[in-house]
Amino acid sequence: MMLDGKTALVTGGRGGIGRAIVARFLREGALVYAADLTPEGSLSAHDDDGSIFVKLDVTQEADAIAAMEQVGAEAGQLDILVNAAGIEIEKTIEQTTLEEWNQSFAVNVNGTFLTSKHALPLLRKGATSGTSASIINFGSYDGFIADPGLAAYCATKGAVHALTRAMACDHGPEGIRVNAICPGYVDTPMLQSFFTGDGSGGGGKTIDQLQQAVRDVHPMRTYGTPDDIANLVNWLASDEARYASGQLWVLDGGLSAQVQQMKL
Amino acid sequence: MRLAGKRALVTGGRQGIGRGIVEAFRREGATVTTCGRGARPDGLADDIIWYPLDVTDTDAVEALAEAAGGIDILVNNAGVQVEKTVPDSSDADWEAVIGTNCKGVFNMCRAYIPRMDEGAAIINIGSISGNTADPSMALYNASKAFVHGLTRSIAVDHGPKIRCNAICPGWIETGMLDAAFELANDPDAAHKDAIARHAAGRFGKPEDIASMAVWLASDEASFATGQLFTLDGGMTAASPLNPGLF
Repeated sequence: MMLDGKTALVTGGRGGIGRAIVARFLREGALVYAADLTPEGSLSAHDDDGSIFVKLDVTQEADAIAAMEQVGAEAGQLDILVNAAGIEIEKTIEQTTLEEWNQSFAVNVNGTFLTSKHALPLLRKGATSGTSASIINFGSYDGFIADPGLAAYCATKGAVHALTRAMACDHGPEGIRVNAICPGYVDTPMLQSFFTGDGSGGGGKTIDQLQQAVRDVHPMRTYGTPDDIANLVNWLASDEARYASGQLWVLDGGLSAQVQQMKL
Repeated sequence: MRLAGKRALVTGGRQGIGRGIVEAFRREGATVTTCGRGARPDGLADDIIWYPLDVTDTDAVEALAEAAGGIDILVNNAGVQVEKTVPDSSDADWEAVIGTNCKGVFNMCRAYIPRMDEGAAIINIGSISGNTADPSMALYNASKAFVHGLTRSIAVDHGPKIRCNAICPGWIETGMLDAAFELANDPDAAHKDAIARHAAGRFGKPEDIASMAVWLASDEASFATGQLFTLDGGMTAASPLNPGLF
C-alpha cells in the first residue's frame, strides 16, 4: 500500500474526480478526509466508503480553518492535500457576468489558495515526520490551450498553474512538494454537463454521436476516467514521487500532443 | 526601410515562405542573396543574387560562405516534409528530412556564424509541428523540434554578438498546403473545417511570416533572442477538440 500511515484531505471529495481519488487513497492505506459542500457532492448517491466527510465550502476561509482544526485534532498532521474542488462556467467573456467570473475564481483559485494556506501548518508536521508532504492542485489542459466558450474556466486554470509553481518554490524548502494535474476530457458529471448544456454546437448530433466524435479526436481514442486521474494523484502523493515538485502533469490521452486534427 | 544596408541570405527562396521573405527583405532595403537546388527561379528580381545550393552538402555550403563573404541576416528556411509514420519511413526519408531540416540548418550556421558581425541575426523556420505533433509526419515533427533546440543553443552560445530566433508557422498557403487538400475525401469540407480551427478565420500567407522575419531581422528586435515565435492565426491556442466542429 503506497500511502500507508498517511493522512489526506481531498476537496471536492464527493465530486467526479475527487471521489475516485478518495477511493484510491483509502485502498492505499491512507486516512482520508473527503471535503465537499454536501456528502453527496455532484453525484446523487453517497456511499459509505470509509472516508471522513468534512463540510467545506472552499470559497469560505472560516470553513478552511474549521476543516484543518478538525484534521489537526483528530490526526495531528496532514501529509497530502488534493485541491480537486472546481466549477466550470460555459461562456465567453461577453456572456459571463462579473458574478460568474468571481465565482469561478472563488472556487478554482481562491479555494486552492485558502485550503492550501490553512493546511500548511499541518503539512509541515507531515513533512517533518519522515517523508515529504504533497499538495496536488487541479489545473487543466485548458490552462495551456483553450476550449471555446470556457473563458473564465481557462483563466482560472492558468492561474492555478502559476500558483502551483509559486507554492512549490516557496514551500519546497519546508519539505512540501506542490504539483498540478492537468486533465483533459474526463468522464465526470462536469463533462456530461458540458455535452448536454447548450449543445455546444452539437450540430444535430445525439449525445452518443458527440461523445464518439470527441473520443475519435484523442490519440488514445477515448477520454479519461476519474480512475486514470486518481492513478497519477496517487503516485504524486506517494513517496515514490519524492523528487517531483513544481510541475504541471498533463493527463489527456495525448489530446494536446497533437496539432489540430484536420479532417482530411 | 528597416533593413537598409544589411546583407541577407535566405535559404530555400525559390517559392513559398522563403520567396515571401526574400521579397520582403528586398522591399526593406536589404541586399538579398537566396539559394536552392537548381537553376534561378523565374520572376526573381534582377538585384537578388541566386546561388544553386544544396544545404545538405557541407563542402558546397562552406565554399559559398567563403566566396560570398559575410552577412548580417541568415534565414534558414529550406525544408522538406515526408508524410509518414516512423515504421513507414525509409533511410532515404531520414536522409531527406533530417538532411535538409537538421543538417542543412546546422551546416549554414556552422559556416556563417564565424563570418557574422556584431548585431547579426539568424532566423530559423521552425514549426508548430515541433511543439505538437501533426499525424503521420514523424520525422518532420522531430526535425523541427531539433531546429527549436538549435535556435536556443545558438542564442545562448553566440549572444550578445548574434541573435537567433525561430518562427513557427502554422498552416500557410503554399503548394504544400494545396497538395494536402487535394488528397482530402471532400476538399471543400476539409477546407471549411480547417478554416474554422483558425481564430483569424484564414490560413497564413508567406507575407505573414515574412513580416515577422523582417521585424526579427531589424534592429527593433535587438532584445529578442532565443525565442520561438508562433504565427498560426490562433490555431494552436485552441484545443484540437473543438466541439463546435462536430
